[in-house]
Amino acid sequence: MITVLATLFAVTGCERILDEVPRDRFEPGFFKTEEGIIGGLTGLYANLRRIYGQPYYYNATETGTDEYTYGAQADGNFRMADLSGLGIPDAQNSRWDVLWNAAYSAINSASGIITNGTEAEMPADLIAEARFFRAFDYFLLVQTFGGVPLDLGGGVLEFNMAPTLKSVRNTVPEVYTLAVFPDLLQAIADLPENPRLIGGVTKNVARLTLAKAYLTYGWWLENPNSIPTYPEASRTDPDGRDAQWYFQQAYDVATTAIDNPGPYALQPTFYDVNFAENDRNNEIMLWADHTENSAYYSESNVTGWDGGDAQNQAVWMVTSYFHTLKASNSPSSWTAVDAMFRTVQAGQSYSRMWARMAPPIGVFTHTFADKANDSRFDGTFTSVYRGTWHYNPSRTETELYGANLLPIGENEPVLTFLPSDPGSIDYSNSTYNSGTQAGYLPGRADYVVPLDKISREIYPGLWKLGTYRKSSDYNDDKIASSRPYNILKFSELYFVAAEAVVKGAAPQAGKTARDLINVIRERAGKWRFSVAGNTEKIEDNSAAMIAATPAAIDINYILDERSREFFGEGYRWHDLARTQKWEEYGGSYLISEKAGNIPVTVNRQLDKYLYLRPIPQGQLDRMDGEGDFKKAYQNPGYN
Amino acid sequence: MIIYKTRIAAVGGKLVGFCLLLLLIFHSPLAVGQTGVRISGTVSGDDGVPLSGVSIRTSDGSASTSTDNDGQFMIQAPANSALVISYLGYTTQEITVGGSDQQLTVTLQTEASTLDEVVVVGYGTQRKEAVTGSVASISGDVMREVPSANITQALQGRLPGVQMTQTSTRPGAGMQIRIRGTRSLTASNDPLLVLDGIPFAGSINDIDPNSIKSIDILKDASATAIYGSRGANGVILVTTHRGQKGQEARISYNAFDGVKNAFSKFPMMNGPQFARLRAEALRTAEELGRGATYPNSSDESDDVNTDWQDLLYQTGRTMSHDLNVSKGSEKGNYSIGMGYFNDKGVMPTNAYSRISLRAAVDQEAGKYFRFGLTSNSSYGFTEGNQVGVGDALGSSPLASPYDTDGNLKRATFASQDVYKVWTKETIRDVRDLWLSETKTLGSYNNIYGEVKVPGVEGLQYRLNLGLNVRQTAGGSFTGIGVTNPTDPNAPSGASINHSLTTNWAIENLLTYDRTFAGKHSVNVVALYSAQENRYNSSAISAIDIPADHFQYYNLGFAEGEVTINPADQGYSKSGLVSWMGRVMYAYDDRYMLSATLRSDASSVLAPGHKWHTYPAISAGWNIANESFMANNAWLNQLKLRVGYGETSNQAVGPYATLGRLNTRPYNFGDVGEDSYAIGYYISELPNQNLGWEYTETWNFGLDFGLLGNRLTGTIEYYKQHTKDILLRVDLPSTTGVGSYVSNIGETENKGLEFSLNGVLVESDEPGGFTWEAGINLYANRNKLLALTSGQERNEGNWWFVGHPINVIFDYEKDGLWQEGDPYLDILEPGGNVGMIKVKYTGEFNADGTPVREIGADDRQILKFDPNFEGGFNTRFGYKGFDLGLVATFKNGGRLISALYGGTSYLNLLSGRHNNVNVDYWTPENRNGSYPRPGGITAGDNPKYANTLGYFDASYLKVRTITLGYNFDGRQWMDRIGVNQLRLYVTAQNPFVLFSPYHKESGMDPETNSYGDQNQAVTGQIQSRLPIVASNAPSTRSYLIGVNLTF
Repeated sequence: MITVLATLFAVTGCERILDEVPRDRFEPGFFKTEEGIIGGLTGLYANLRRIYGQPYYYNATETGTDEYTYGAQADGNFRMADLSGLGIPDAQNSRWDVLWNAAYSAINSASGIITNGTEAEMPADLIAEARFFRAFDYFLLVQTFGGVPLDLGGGVLEFNMAPTLKSVRNTVPEVYTLAVFPDLLQAIADLPENPRLIGGVTKNVARLTLAKAYLTYGWWLENPNSIPTYPEASRTDPDGRDAQWYFQQAYDVATTAIDNPGPYALQPTFYDVNFAENDRNNEIMLWADHTENSAYYSESNVTGWDGGDAQNQAVWMVTSYFHTLKASNSPSSWTAVDAMFRTVQAGQSYSRMWARMAPPIGVFTHTFADKANDSRFDGTFTSVYRGTWHYNPSRTETELYGANLLPIGENEPVLTFLPSDPGSIDYSNSTYNSGTQAGYLPGRADYVVPLDKISREIYPGLWKLGTYRKSSDYNDDKIASSRPYNILKFSELYFVAAEAVVKGAAPQAGKTARDLINVIRERAGKWRFSVAGNTEKIEDNSAAMIAATPAAIDINYILDERSREFFGEGYRWHDLARTQKWEEYGGSYLISEKAGNIPVTVNRQLDKYLYLRPIPQGQLDRMDGEGDFKKAYQNPGYN
Repeated sequence: MIIYKTRIAAVGGKLVGFCLLLLLIFHSPLAVGQTGVRISGTVSGDDGVPLSGVSIRTSDGSASTSTDNDGQFMIQAPANSALVISYLGYTTQEITVGGSDQQLTVTLQTEASTLDEVVVVGYGTQRKEAVTGSVASISGDVMREVPSANITQALQGRLPGVQMTQTSTRPGAGMQIRIRGTRSLTASNDPLLVLDGIPFAGSINDIDPNSIKSIDILKDASATAIYGSRGANGVILVTTHRGQKGQEARISYNAFDGVKNAFSKFPMMNGPQFARLRAEALRTAEELGRGATYPNSSDESDDVNTDWQDLLYQTGRTMSHDLNVSKGSEKGNYSIGMGYFNDKGVMPTNAYSRISLRAAVDQEAGKYFRFGLTSNSSYGFTEGNQVGVGDALGSSPLASPYDTDGNLKRATFASQDVYKVWTKETIRDVRDLWLSETKTLGSYNNIYGEVKVPGVEGLQYRLNLGLNVRQTAGGSFTGIGVTNPTDPNAPSGASINHSLTTNWAIENLLTYDRTFAGKHSVNVVALYSAQENRYNSSAISAIDIPADHFQYYNLGFAEGEVTINPADQGYSKSGLVSWMGRVMYAYDDRYMLSATLRSDASSVLAPGHKWHTYPAISAGWNIANESFMANNAWLNQLKLRVGYGETSNQAVGPYATLGRLNTRPYNFGDVGEDSYAIGYYISELPNQNLGWEYTETWNFGLDFGLLGNRLTGTIEYYKQHTKDILLRVDLPSTTGVGSYVSNIGETENKGLEFSLNGVLVESDEPGGFTWEAGINLYANRNKLLALTSGQERNEGNWWFVGHPINVIFDYEKDGLWQEGDPYLDILEPGGNVGMIKVKYTGEFNADGTPVREIGADDRQILKFDPNFEGGFNTRFGYKGFDLGLVATFKNGGRLISALYGGTSYLNLLSGRHNNVNVDYWTPENRNGSYPRPGGITAGDNPKYANTLGYFDASYLKVRTITLGYNFDGRQWMDRIGVNQLRLYVTAQNPFVLFSPYHKESGMDPETNSYGDQNQAVTGQIQSRLPIVASNAPSTRSYLIGVNLTF
């Protein structure tokens, strides 16, 4: 029996035992099927989440500009990004690594879809989506790092399946003219007018991206401030065109999109653009989506605080510790209790606090100097914090007592940021201790901080990105934002076209730089709701807004207006880098050491080499090659 | 004979019939028709006491009997034949009888001498004297001196070179096992476990320690080579009890029961200490003008002092019962047992229980055949692992758990952080609403058949067949609002998971074992084996279960999202085919040689790279048996061993050669199901060249026995060199793909092992005072020799060429900054006096000022591995009493405590929530060793906070002290048939000595988590490193136990 059994096993077992058939996973070969290609495209959209809303990427795009400096709770990531003497974001610690590490995976997937999809004769509009994303990622890379590799290991713009440890960087003009422009032109030709899916890319999404790319490349060719590029390349276009040609193209492509808006339009008010309940409105052309209804498809924990690298946590970084605000629960003597309750149910003004980034004072005295006519200060910031203690089911008080032991009802102001310092604010926190740096004024129940004396610890929050949850099934504020993170807006077409005109593009009738900017400013004058007042406010200050527009629009005015429109959305560093105005705009800033103190000027050292961000250390470490090769791969100025 | 055969025929079917045929063909008629003689006599032990139940049989198996209660026997045997006299625990004797009737007086020697110990070496046994490889052995009885849930706990510190590291303090948790260090970087470093000869497919917890007769650990390549690739990390051979040949029925019952409490509480601040911390942090903020401050919340008041841990911990209980019946006849034997183990932890509802059943049968059939079966099955149940200490540690001691009406609050706020109020009672109250359970069912079955090849003396064929199955079913449920601190209506959630592992192994073994001319003993084994492992698992989770009574039993009713994440579903099938040959030769018990050659083919490697062949050879010289040593009275044993061998590791997951697409789910808008889509991207590239990782090992050993073998010991030195390490290589981002698995890198392990056992006081008379002691000591030096081509450092993984695989990569703390220390402003811009000072490694300008501030370049490679480790045990005996002690120790290396470091958020020193009670710097207390509260931070923690979590890992820990009493030879015992009765009391983990960490914290210095577990934030400490974090507290227990034999 034994012998028979043994022989049986010996003969039959061997080869089949050593074969492998995976049944719980896809191997890369699946990418060649139709389902694989559709799934690959979905993967490209999902990849947006790894960049947009990622808090350290957000930090990289904002900290160190005129929009943000580091906040009281900042760690090295934020302090260094400020470039104000607390270190320099270098190969090891620059957080532009988030972009570098996310982009190539998407580029390779896109190349796979283009190659395999073309072979499999898939519809051109699907393949065009992949072309869009490949160009979009290359455009981000080239703006940030200079020239980047077009060959990932499988050939120039080819799908890579080889585990190579080598990489060679192309030059900036190569990246634009071989990758960004041809892909986007093809994408504009093949993409549909209307999106295939909610949030899908269209002709106009590609047009906006191409217009920005033309504009940016035009600036690069012109190079007014002699900013170095890398790898070395002459500022002549391989296709023989000059900067002017590209500015004109930028204008033409942008105005084509304005004239043929497809499904897109401007929202009636600025408030509507960023109002959470109006998310995915028709002004938004591209976003990294999230939903509170599915932790799995949102790739983000919807009932807990920890959920991986695809979460939208940007707004946490710019939210100060307003939750520590205290009031008294006795009208006669100061008995401190929490005036705030940390809950996502409290709404868009009350995001989770991290205080990693703070706006400098100039944001409120210069950029948003007009807070009365222009609705955008109110539609950007939370400048009044209201009592939210009552969201805590165990709290039964209907009224608390704030400064001067004056009553504060539910949803009534506890902390207000004043447009300017009226003087005589008492910051002693002795009698009525707010638990923050805020002070108080006679006759007011709420604590106050003047906007021209904010500190790194106490400053207005960013209402426009604030977290919001429709349902009332969860009340902790530690979950990441389940709102989509907006990437491209219809309004930007006006800015791109206007900037192109400022740079010399010939405008069409009725679409001069001033005309275009006024479309935006006119809309900015329209009010529907006051965030600070937490009340409806129907007002139309369009005429005043237009009247205030200067006759001649220059690049600085465009930059100011862009900041008013897109403040804190992650545009700023690329805007300043494109226009080579970083030092002019971000070279110094004002902030108070403690709320109410005389502001101090902080200087930044913004050397020209910093216009190219460092190649991350991880890339250098993982590459094969000698020290000299790696040194040559890195941008100049970084060791 | 004929009768016997007929009986089997009646039982079996066609197959048995076939066996019968073989039997008839090969059956030799030699045994029939000889003249018999009558032999009678008495058998007694070496203490003179007659032994009952001693087996006496003729060497040809033609007759057998056993002694009666007075030790007397009578047997009819062929003339001039040999009688084999055997008894468990005594050395077997063989006596040749003459041609006429005779009377014998036999004295059996206790099997104490290590000389005659038999060691299981894999595919056979060897007398210890003849072993040439490195094998460490321990008997089940000795191992059970440490009462425990599983063998890892029992073996800790017992054997040199075998490192057992605790990685969880939860009931029933197993330990990490490392034999002679760590070799692989990402492939498995776990040793192979072999249960009764067949590679074990289950979890260490599935083996009941009571079932174990002995454990033998193969450490060097010459010993493990026969297990080939699977033995690359060492082999643990577990042998379970079987009945002995000719043994009378024996029933044994072993049990213990006891209580356990937290070894120590986590060293958190009490109310006044915490209030002072907050005041200090506030003062710093006022003096230095920065930092967030944390005023008392509405729940807190400086005059409250709540000990949240006291409210939480319960008294646990550990209980074990084990019953075994065994019997042997001349041709067969059996052993059947069952056990029950239950361990209730100090965390409420947290418990582990196990029921195990086992059976072992051996049966000879005729002269040539032998069959047998071993079956071990167990059902385990784990619950309550979701109950953690986090809320108790973070809650403010200034907050009262009760409201003004005296009712328990739902939650309390520590400044702005909210914590659920938990007490042992409230957790028990919601045990039906908040649960996490795992049920496992494992069955491990080995069947063998053996046939002696007739006509060729010593040649034998054996077939082993292993059939194993293991199933796990997990479920968890959190009822509506049960765990939410503020929202009583928070949605409920439930999840289930299942897994099934099936495994078969078949081994064909041909053995030739013979001694020629009295001096040349030869043992040859040839093997062909194949095995296959299949695994699949599934997991589903759902939220918003409409009614609490569903628990996790019907996820179909969920009203919220049901998730079947593809990443949580698993399937794998892998196979291994092997050929092996081994020759062991010994000349005159003086010179021994063992040579092995094995070829393995593994399914998980790339085609064309599946097969690998490797040799091993070892030799031994029994110097003490040489004639020139004959006159040496004090040296009884001296053996020199040397071995060289190669082993392989293929321990990568199946399909690693194929590459992989990962999923990226996405929502296009927010309109429900229609929004959802699953995206893909390439996460791993295929590698068509993936092959074996292999290790070359040298081993040198010296075994000695002195003073009549009262002192025995072993010294070993080894060196292992591992090449072509299976490593997931991170690719540059620019390739567009994250990683691939490749054969890259080299490591080395060198080590010294030493063990010494002695009878320090021996008594000539029964019941006299005896004292035995043993110690073992080992040191391993691990080194990474190479990483990916030319790479010297992999900072992301803390791997550095020239350093051990396990190191810490961080700043090196050098005290605190004090007033007047130079260059604070340059080295630490924004820093403050009283902050942590770390070592600066940069340059200095000509004027002596540092050129830059402290930064990432100043991080150091810090030692993690200990200098040496070991254990000792001692035992005193007097008049039936025995007092034993088992201890383990460790010297040097670093202990990482997440509690004191930054990752647990329990040493923020800001007063945000409760803090570990530390001696912090204040202007009045400049000698404090922790930074100034409220000073400079990085994120939420004090800057360089992780450096506060590094301690000297040294300790000496007494694991058990046992006092027992043996009731021996009492009349009442005879009357009720009790053979042996021992009662004992044991204290487990009674105390810890020489531990800097224990001194600082009062805690158990043994690790309780991996580097990515039981902390507020992960990713800062490498997950492979065992650390101390916020797991269930270590326990100290007191047990009472009984060993009873009928």
